[in-house]
Amino acid sequence: MDKIATRAFPAFAAGFAAFYAPAYCFTGANSTFTWPLFTYFPAADEWYWGLVAGNDTLGPPMWWYGWIASAAIVGLIAAVIALLLPARATEKFWTTALWAVPIAAFLFLANWELVWFIQGWNPRWFGF
Amino acid sequence: MITVLLILHGILAVFLLGAITHQTLGVFWPRHPGQTDFIANARGIRPHIYAQAIVILYVVEFTLGSLLYPSYRVISRPPLEELRILYIIGLFEVKENFAAIVLAMLPAYWYFWKKYPEARTARAWMTAILFATVWYNFVAGHLVNNARGLL
Repeated sequence: MDKIATRAFPAFAAGFAAFYAPAYCFTGANSTFTWPLFTYFPAADEWYWGLVAGNDTLGPPMWWYGWIASAAIVGLIAAVIALLLPARATEKFWTTALWAVPIAAFLFLANWELVWFIQGWNPRWFGF
Repeated sequence: MITVLLILHGILAVFLLGAITHQTLGVFWPRHPGQTDFIANARGIRPHIYAQAIVILYVVEFTLGSLLYPSYRVISRPPLEELRILYIIGLFEVKENFAAIVLAMLPAYWYFWKKYPEARTARAWMTAILFATVWYNFVAGHLVNNARGLL
């Protein structure tokens, strides 16, 4: 259990954050990639698989639950990959990725979230 | 019902704030022998004692927030968009993103605090991230609710 948890839990957290941040930043009504696993329409109380844009009939879309579900799947895949790699060589890496990847994700997100706070902010200035 | 959930969300947030603040003080500013003042007593705790309570409170808070979110999306956010009060929407966007990423860190946070005492650096970083997230989400949640509540 110990040998599994020291790699699988950190890898899950790192994989989750590594997917969640671009999912939030790059999801839009016209996205070519389906970042959220599903879309929820709270006004109509209806769920749809994948990325669905809001409209006058269904109301505003909520992708947050879908991003979490997608990111959890990526986190689980990362955990499995971590368990397949040699423990002794990678344990230190995962122990660092556990906190370093979420911090990087926060910084990545901050660039996109500034559009809410600074008028005219362009997150693509940095080339993403 | 939504109002009851919102008040419960706010009350449990205070418990979570207290727990994570005590733990953070215990990790980064531990009490030294002989210090007996009020602040020193707040720091003089065994940080690992708080880990399980923090995980449980965080999961309950996250669940309550998830249940409240659709009401915010339908009732509170549209007027904010119409009035172009975008920074309030931004405060909430940051809050939801912090909340989700830290949720995924909880299994490792719990394990490293309970079973892996050697990983001091990782535990300290996780505690700091949780501390920043919980405090930010508490303040942002109140500001959003003050700007446009669910009633």
